[in-house]
Amino acid sequence: MIQAILDAVSLGGVYALAALGLGLVFGVMRLVNFAHAELITVASYTLVMTHQFPLVVSIVLSVVAASLMALLMELLAYRRLRGSNPATMLIVSFGVSVLLQKVYELVFGALPRSASVATGLTGAFTVGGVSITIASVVTIVLAVVILLAMGYLIERTKLGLQLRAAASDFQTARLLGVRSNRLIASAFVISGALAAVVAFVNVVGNPQVDPRFGLDITILALVGIVVGGMNSLRGSALGGFIVGAVLSLLNVILGNGRVYAYSWMFVIVIVILLVRPGGILSKFATKERV
Amino acid sequence: MTLFEVRDLRAGYGKVDVLFGVSLTASKGELIGIVGPNGAGKSTLFGAIVGTVGLRGGSVFLDGEDISGKRPEDIVRRGLSLVPEGRQIFSGLSVIENLTLGLTGRRDKHGEKGALERVHDLFPVLTTHRDHQAGMLSGGQQQQLAIARALVADPRVLLLDEPSLGLSPTVVKDVFDRLIAIAESGTAVVIVEQRAHLVTRLAERTHVLRAGKLQATLTKEDAADEAKLTAAYFGNSGE
Ligand SMILES: Nc1ncnc2c1ncn2[C@@H]1O[C@H](COP(=O)(O)OP(=O)(O)OP(=O)(O)O)[C@@H](O)[C@H]1O
Ligand SMILES: [Mg+2]
Repeated sequence: MIQAILDAVSLGGVYALAALGLGLVFGVMRLVNFAHAELITVASYTLVMTHQFPLVVSIVLSVVAASLMALLMELLAYRRLRGSNPATMLIVSFGVSVLLQKVYELVFGALPRSASVATGLTGAFTVGGVSITIASVVTIVLAVVILLAMGYLIERTKLGLQLRAAASDFQTARLLGVRSNRLIASAFVISGALAAVVAFVNVVGNPQVDPRFGLDITILALVGIVVGGMNSLRGSALGGFIVGAVLSLLNVILGNGRVYAYSWMFVIVIVILLVRPGGILSKFATKERV
Repeated sequence: MTLFEVRDLRAGYGKVDVLFGVSLTASKGELIGIVGPNGAGKSTLFGAIVGTVGLRGGSVFLDGEDISGKRPEDIVRRGLSLVPEGRQIFSGLSVIENLTLGLTGRRDKHGEKGALERVHDLFPVLTTHRDHQAGMLSGGQQQQLAIARALVADPRVLLLDEPSLGLSPTVVKDVFDRLIAIAESGTAVVIVEQRAHLVTRLAERTHVLRAGKLQATLTKEDAADEAKLTAAYFGNSGE
């Protein structure tokens, strides 16, 4: 029971980080970056390919790889699309995603690459007769620390202020001197770093990295940002958390019926969106539209 | 000496041309007015100057430097700030956060504290509401915030697009008194107004913009002459 709750909280935390990465980029560019999945994947490959290095080095390299990839996406693909219609940008991000999957396939092969990363985290320990996995505790601690750090960055720093301003009105932010290229590049780099954290936790749990490794979590994190409210970072993170936690709990509750976990989760998602169409933290939910 | 010059500016959106060659100048400490009916191209003119609307010809000079075609974030750093139509304050951010964003456009980062203090002297009400959400301010206070946010960048040229919009007459007078003070401190101030009488009395020169062209220029003395003003504003060619 306690382990089930810890698992739910840790999966929720991971999805919150993925959703936050997506939400940051969406905020400044109105771009749903589907290729966020490939940022998670590249960081995961990096962890697996460098598993013989000290863990810290391996983690740093994975953060660098994902941030660099995010920056390249921005420079080569998305920069030209600034201000285009969101549907166009979404389609292009699908394209980037598929393209990168093919590149990974060429470089690493279609079959999973695996290696045990951070073996120290795979065990369990016992507290008062209850067995608890180390991974779940470490994941929760990591997620909390990173969410707090992000909260500080966004609420207390100049960069965070500019990100918030740009998310609500980029043109006015530029009129005041906010450097658009630099700010958008920063958002991508941070989202890449967040993707690397997600990758780390995932690889520890399941070190079988294939070219589509980051896909599932990204799709669910996207559901999360819609549930939480796309226009607020808090909402994105909260929505990601809810989706992850609910999915984890459903897997336990449904027992043998766990093949239906996704279906039930989407039922819950639809109900939430019927009640609050703009997402849980949306200010506009109560406004009549028709 | 001319600090700010717009020379034969042309601009538009997509297939539509809006401005057909607009020229004007402003010197240090001068207050210049631009009036004209809805859709004349007043906001487009400001947008073209600050880089949010694409130029189709002509140039903009600030202190002799050609700034036409530069990006908005670079133009504000050169000392030209716009208080946009409808204020466009960040309503979800606090008053001080709005002002802090205004500091982004400063060339000299050392004077930040002094700039905020000057704003406090000019608009004490903003200090009272320092930590409140900007969206909770009254219309007049929001307009003051929008002006203050532009001022903390220490602009040499300040453009204001319809600062009187949605304000009661007493508040309008208050805002315009501050604008006069700002001009007197050496900033060139260019004000777009639909309510022509608000600026014609104060401005060194008031240009009448109609259908994308400057149709007439009025001096303070002309402003007293009701007939001349009306003729300039509505056009006397019977078009
Ligand atoms: N973003 C835009 N895209 C296309 N056309 C535009 C855009 N903005 C303005 N226009 C057109 O340009 C013309 C001039 O508009 P502008 O906003 O400059 O007028 P204005 O003089 O500021 O009017 P107002 O007094 O109502 O503010 C209008 O015909 C308007 O329809
Ligand atoms: Mg206008």
